[in-house]
Amino acid sequence: MAEYVGIDLGTTLSGLAYLKSDGNPEIVPNSDGERLTPSVVFFEAHEDVKLVGSPARDGGEPDRTIFQIKRHMDDPEYLVEIDGKKWTPAEISALILSKLKRDCSKIIGDINEVVITVPANFNELARKSTIAAAEMAGMRVKRLVNEPTAAAVYYAHSQGVKGRILVYDLGGGTLDVTILQVEGDNIRILTSEGARHLGGSNFDDMLLAAYAEQYTKQTGAPLYNDERHRRRVLLATEDAKKMLSKLQRVNDTVANDKNDGLARIDLTRESFEKLIRQMLTRTVMLVEQALDSANLKAADIDHVVLVGGSTRIPKVKTILEKMFGKTPKSCGNVDECVALGAALFAKKSARIQEVCNASYGTVAMVYNAKTGEEKLMNSVVIPKNTPIPCSRTQVYQTSEDNERVIEVDITQGEDEDAKFVDIIGRITLEVPPNRPKGCEVAVTFSYDENQRVRALVVDKQSGRSREVAVSYKGAGVLSDEDLKRKSAHLRTMRIE
Amino acid sequence: MFKKILQSLSKSQAAKVPAAPVSKPAAETPKPGAVLQKISKAAAPAASQTPEEMCEIAPKMPKDQIHARLKLLYRRYNRSASSLDPKIRQEADTMLDAIVKVREKFFGEI
Repeated sequence: MAEYVGIDLGTTLSGLAYLKSDGNPEIVPNSDGERLTPSVVFFEAHEDVKLVGSPARDGGEPDRTIFQIKRHMDDPEYLVEIDGKKWTPAEISALILSKLKRDCSKIIGDINEVVITVPANFNELARKSTIAAAEMAGMRVKRLVNEPTAAAVYYAHSQGVKGRILVYDLGGGTLDVTILQVEGDNIRILTSEGARHLGGSNFDDMLLAAYAEQYTKQTGAPLYNDERHRRRVLLATEDAKKMLSKLQRVNDTVANDKNDGLARIDLTRESFEKLIRQMLTRTVMLVEQALDSANLKAADIDHVVLVGGSTRIPKVKTILEKMFGKTPKSCGNVDECVALGAALFAKKSARIQEVCNASYGTVAMVYNAKTGEEKLMNSVVIPKNTPIPCSRTQVYQTSEDNERVIEVDITQGEDEDAKFVDIIGRITLEVPPNRPKGCEVAVTFSYDENQRVRALVVDKQSGRSREVAVSYKGAGVLSDEDLKRKSAHLRTMRIE
Repeated sequence: MFKKILQSLSKSQAAKVPAAPVSKPAAETPKPGAVLQKISKAAAPAASQTPEEMCEIAPKMPKDQIHARLKLLYRRYNRSASSLDPKIRQEADTMLDAIVKVREKFFGEI
């Protein structure tokens, strides 16, 4: 049985690594002989089989092929319907994890407990869905770990570095920037910032639009008329993007599926970099945000580490080098280091101090006795970057005489302005009648190692209290009963 | 120095609205969990506005103020860009584009 296993469940690629007896992690290939498995699922119409990985990606039936399901893990209403059956994002992810478990266990033995990586800014629901996916695939999640943290663990292990490290993780679908302090085997996360929907697939979409424009200019016809052909051209643009990381110029020839002729596409690295420049500026702003969050300047960073396939783009290295005045380093294969780090994390988690990825609080009218100002605002109880696990309490007052029900909103977000935070839950607590306003209510938030939040409200006068874990309801959220039933069903499925 | 009075979203919004006629349904009970809602939507940027107007950058604003303003806006709208509400996400994306354009105008391209 493999004792320490890490899985990178990525937007475009997934990988599994285990810790060898010599203490070094290694990627385990799938049964197709690939070290990484495309995170794509194909529902075959003629045989009762689900294809996962390259065969699914290259299958060519877009209506039955699911790409980038990770982007929907935080959507409680998202469902995929195939042949009348509805699949939640967690179930689709479970198919990918099942493929990894089944294939890799043939090489390293049974896989029962794993560490799974998630983007640093994955919210509560996405984290819960990831745990559910693993359970359906027959694996217990020992810990969830943030992707940049896992990458940094691998970098620190393989390079033997110490000091402050900034990890710039630009993957297929997300950007994470994490700053951490490494001293030997001890790692302390200082901050993590993330941008959703910013990654290599955005660059592919931009290239696709450029291809389509060129094609129409040369032939007068649209480049694609359906999803199947759009997918084919998208794969071509992805290849062109990768080539432009090695070459200054790439020529491609494309055709649509209506015999409207061929078009020659000439791309230069310079034109590609111009195309994605504004997206890269957004990534620079996220790096600045991370530095601000940790109260650091660029000069305070000792190492800049690149993670994720999109960091192969030369411009990424150039802008970071200009910003930090030092050459960014890659930790080996940028696509594999997250899974490798997750396997290491499975063993070393006790020596790694993580932080709260967001601020949690409630909505309150705050009176400043000194200035006389009053303002409705987001009142933070647990600030972002508090080391976890943690618990914090703040005392508030009731607002009305004879208030029978206290309502406490649970907010997620740092902004003082309540317009710019999310209300992710609400606790209601019945209290005795005939009390004046101003009674004290203690609001406590707790944050666990898997970055899941709980809230406790205590009415101090009556002693009544109510505690909730933030939970989710929606068509795409599985109940515990659903989870058990679907886990049993998934074990009987043919997954190749 | 600070006194903090609990204000729930449903109560504070109900207080602003006149009593509902009897025929109207009672206020909807929010679903527990998920992102229940934003307190209220930020004003959507108008299509005719320049990036500076969208970012509320005054003509003679000093550069350090512009820098601070862009940082604040980037933090806000980067967060909104991952909202589950497609409308909020689209608005955030438009704002992020504007923020980048203003940054490039005043501080140069990367």
